[in-house]
Amino acid sequence: MIRWAILIAILVTSVCLALRYGQISVPLDVLWNGLGTNDGPGSLILGTIRGPRVAVAMGGGFVLGLSGALFQTLFRNPLASPDVLGFTSGAGLAVIFAVSFNLAIAPTIAAVAGGVFAALVVAAIAYQKGVETPAITLILVGLGIGFFATGLATFLMTVLPTSSALEAQRWLSGSLSGSTWGNAGLVCGLGSLLALFALAQSRALGVLELGNDMAKGLGLSTEASRWTISGTGVLLAAVGVSLTGPVPFVALIAGPLGAVLSGATTVAGRLLAGGMAGAIVLVLADLVARVAIPNTQLPAGVFTGLIGAPFLLWRLGVEMRKGRV
Amino acid sequence: MAALCLIALALISLFIGPRDIAFDSFAAALQAYDQYDAEHVTLMQIRLPRLWAALIAGGALGVAAMVMQVVTRNPFADPGVLGINAGAAFFLIVGTTLLGRADEAFVAVFAFPGAALMALIVFALGGGFLRDINPIRLVLAGVAVNALLASLLTALVLLRQDSLDVMRFWVAGSLSQATTRPLFEMSLIALAGASLAMALATRFEAFALGGDMSQGLGVRPGRVLAGALIVVTLCAGAAVSVAGPIAFLGLIVPPIVRVLSPGDLRLGLLMSAVIGALILLFADVLGRVILSPLEVRAGIMTALLGTPLFLWVARRMSPGQVS
Repeated sequence: MIRWAILIAILVTSVCLALRYGQISVPLDVLWNGLGTNDGPGSLILGTIRGPRVAVAMGGGFVLGLSGALFQTLFRNPLASPDVLGFTSGAGLAVIFAVSFNLAIAPTIAAVAGGVFAALVVAAIAYQKGVETPAITLILVGLGIGFFATGLATFLMTVLPTSSALEAQRWLSGSLSGSTWGNAGLVCGLGSLLALFALAQSRALGVLELGNDMAKGLGLSTEASRWTISGTGVLLAAVGVSLTGPVPFVALIAGPLGAVLSGATTVAGRLLAGGMAGAIVLVLADLVARVAIPNTQLPAGVFTGLIGAPFLLWRLGVEMRKGRV
Repeated sequence: MAALCLIALALISLFIGPRDIAFDSFAAALQAYDQYDAEHVTLMQIRLPRLWAALIAGGALGVAAMVMQVVTRNPFADPGVLGINAGAAFFLIVGTTLLGRADEAFVAVFAFPGAALMALIVFALGGGFLRDINPIRLVLAGVAVNALLASLLTALVLLRQDSLDVMRFWVAGSLSQATTRPLFEMSLIALAGASLAMALATRFEAFALGGDMSQGLGVRPGRVLAGALIVVTLCAGAAVSVAGPIAFLGLIVPPIVRVLSPGDLRLGLLMSAVIGALILLFADVLGRVILSPLEVRAGIMTALLGTPLFLWVARRMSPGQVS
């Protein structure tokens, strides 16, 4: 329980820090006074400037982290997260595609379509009849699909005029600068619905973790559960990507980080902790991106990339020593 | 066979493009170059340098990939996948941004430390120094390094907006700017790398036999690896300097070479250079005509062509299936 309290405390502190600091720092009591009023610097910061941004970071980080924890548990491999598996690249490509051809599609819908499509392609290629697909095959195939999507996105970038290319580049690297309360509402609404659905699957997930034969013996229809859980994970990731852009590695880091911080042993606990860790990572990454260089806003994705890449390498080392990769 | 294909494709590449050129004017341009004739200028000032760039970059990447795959015994080893091209390009872009574009020949020097550094890092992270190079680990190390460089690059571009255009055209490998690139110097460097690879070929082969066997043959692993590193740095650096980071070309070349000429690595290296040049040229010509008048960069074409191969290897490598 204490560790959960610490996890919640870290999240609350991160949110407070993210609201307090930026191009101008605002003392917490000013923020507090701004709560519930309509004028003054506090309410301006909370209501228009940093409030929506932090809310989207929190919600987006949560769904990405939850999605990562879901896939890592499902495939019993800490490297199997939606960014490594190519789903986020697919979602990102779809949004860039919609932007460059001026399609009148909401980015959320484009992202979901792209994410689902990428997931289906990965599944179709990695699927082998009669064998439980090894996580390694999925990871390699996912990386390949990710490369392909990135290649196409780069191509679209070269065709766009410079102004929209800059916008696209910013979006592709994962930025929260355009966040509105509408975005925040969307991610929180859809996100909590999907999160509840994911948590409802945690019992099936726990049984699946015991291995396919065991799960079948316990009376679970394994194929159906796998598809439902994967589908939920893809949707979660796509909702996150549509609002934050394909921020690299949040989903990858969140699961293990949450598990370490919370010490959770149950599947539901790990999923929840993964989501919270994702929220913490994204809120802090966005904060650092805003204050790292004065008068310049970097995309949060720059920092999740800088943290995530060494993390991936470290995990790789650990997995190697355990002889699992 | 392959050489004949290369020559045919090279000729095609000269005559196809936004301005189609008849064969007669090529002969005429060779005999009596007329600097006021638009066709002659296009041919000699644009198409020919571009063709040359494709040959150098493709050949150099083919050799680099072949050496990497032999030494690491890994079908995924490709200067693009493993982040070596990205390292060279990153250093180039930083150099260009800091120094301005005044002297591209000088800036190109940056590509080599970039390539060498990334090759060393990925090799170390992939377990190379532990004598335990795991293919999947190597690929993931490459992915991580690529992601890290991409993040840094984004930061740079957003801080210095003038570098966006530099980046857009560097990051996706392209041959369209061949005229401004130091082609002659880079062909010499690529040639030096390829010659070193030829000289070391037998040792690479002995090293690839692994542990005891290669020691029995008197191979010193440290020296062989250092040699391979120099080859890869020279070849990949030269290729990136003329064409930017061309993705996945290194995945495509070695499997084809192995089918065409199994056995002697020296012949294999020669074939890799020819096949690499052939494929890059093909990608370039295809990219020029496929969405004409829009041009798809050669680097994107190779990425799109190479992905199916990557997926095929990924599936074949999976445990539980005979490879």
